[in-house]
Amino acid sequence: MALLGVAALSSTMLSRTNHFLRRAARAASMSTEASPTKMTLNFSLPHETIYSGAEVSQVILPGESGEYGVTVKHVPMVSQLQPGVLQILHEEGSSEPEKYFVAGGYALTHENSVTDVTCPEAVKLDDIDPDAVSKNYESAKAALASAADGSVAQAEAQIEVETNKAMGAALGLALA
Amino acid sequence: MAPLRLTAQRAAPRFMNIVQRGMATEKQIFNQMVSTKNIQKITSSMKMVSAAKLKGDETRMKLAEPFNVWSSALRADPVECEDATYEDVPGNKCLVVPFTSESGLCGGVNSFISKNTKKCIASLSEQGKDVNVVIVGEKGRSALRRPLGDKIVGSATGVVYPGNFALCSSLSQDVMAEFNSGEYDSIVFLYNHYVNPAVYKQMYQVVSKPQAENGEGEIMPEYDCDGDKDEVVENMFEYMIASQMFYCYMDAGAAEQSSRMAAMENATKNAGEMIDSLTLQYNRARQARITTELIEIISGASAIEG
Repeated sequence: MALLGVAALSSTMLSRTNHFLRRAARAASMSTEASPTKMTLNFSLPHETIYSGAEVSQVILPGESGEYGVTVKHVPMVSQLQPGVLQILHEEGSSEPEKYFVAGGYALTHENSVTDVTCPEAVKLDDIDPDAVSKNYESAKAALASAADGSVAQAEAQIEVETNKAMGAALGLALA
Repeated sequence: MAPLRLTAQRAAPRFMNIVQRGMATEKQIFNQMVSTKNIQKITSSMKMVSAAKLKGDETRMKLAEPFNVWSSALRADPVECEDATYEDVPGNKCLVVPFTSESGLCGGVNSFISKNTKKCIASLSEQGKDVNVVIVGEKGRSALRRPLGDKIVGSATGVVYPGNFALCSSLSQDVMAEFNSGEYDSIVFLYNHYVNPAVYKQMYQVVSKPQAENGEGEIMPEYDCDGDKDEVVENMFEYMIASQMFYCYMDAGAAEQSSRMAAMENATKNAGEMIDSLTLQYNRARQARITTELIEIISGASAIEG
């Protein structure tokens, strides 16, 4: 009777250790699989598709509450973009991110590490002329000062002031 | 009165330009040939212009598609209109927006859209839904004005070719204004999808506002948001309409251009065939005239001799 009991006990223990061993083996094999390090970026404008299905390491987006970075396996997110700089790091720890100035738009990060960025207009930071930005900022400020309160002109002038200010900040100009 | 007129016609066919007994004179055939050749020149040049414009339209459409792909997670895929039952349109109040062209001579694009718009509205009404229409394009407006009547709540005509995002976003503002004021549940876009220069298909695209489950709880719960989520989703929906209309407009434009190219090519070919058959007729008439003159001369000469 006792022998049977011991046998039963040992068989359960054996099966349990077997079970643990198998789990450990599976975990070991899973960790040796390479986990994806790159996320997929779709960045398009109405008149130009900048990136479609591009594999990049990180994207930094100018969201409503400030800049936020998206890497692989980021939590799914929907964000309204403010006028600001969008940076793309193609390789991990890259020191030369590709910079674009976006005038606005939306960024959706999906479950499968795909990020869609859609903007009506975006330009490479290098293509922006700092003198033109300062000049436009001054004229936009003047327009804002002279526009009637609550009019469409005031709203448009306000948008121009904010966008030019953001462009100036991106270029390193201190526009007041 | 009638017999007098007929005798006058028979007596002076040339003055009254009447075809006598179905046999056209040489001059009339020649006139017809000249005018057909002119038409052939016009249709041939229209075809070449359309072919050139099609290149631009194709490029624009190929850029508009990836631009619109961002919203594919938030809306259904476009569905072919052929044999469609329109049962996948959610809600009880729908706004139908068909895309048609401004100018004519573009083949069957507009008649297919008109036909499918009527079918769509009929089947949505059968499902007990409230339907209204905003028409884009003059051809659609004139074709659907009578059949749809009071269902039409707006139309966008006089849109200047080729169109860009700014234009489509201002179009979408009108659609959004109607959508919000009428408290619709969904929008159905009907447009021609350009497949290749010879083929285009009618498709419809359903877009509805992202709603919370059963009217309560969070909208789009799978997604986080770094701002006021309700406001962001509201704004994003408006942007989605603009983006979708931009894509539909570009796609429909490419389809229209390819259809115009095909129609003008057919017209040129038909004009060419007509000119060939008219040339044969003309030559026959000319030879008959020459033969008649010869016979007159010869019989006259032989009468003098003999």
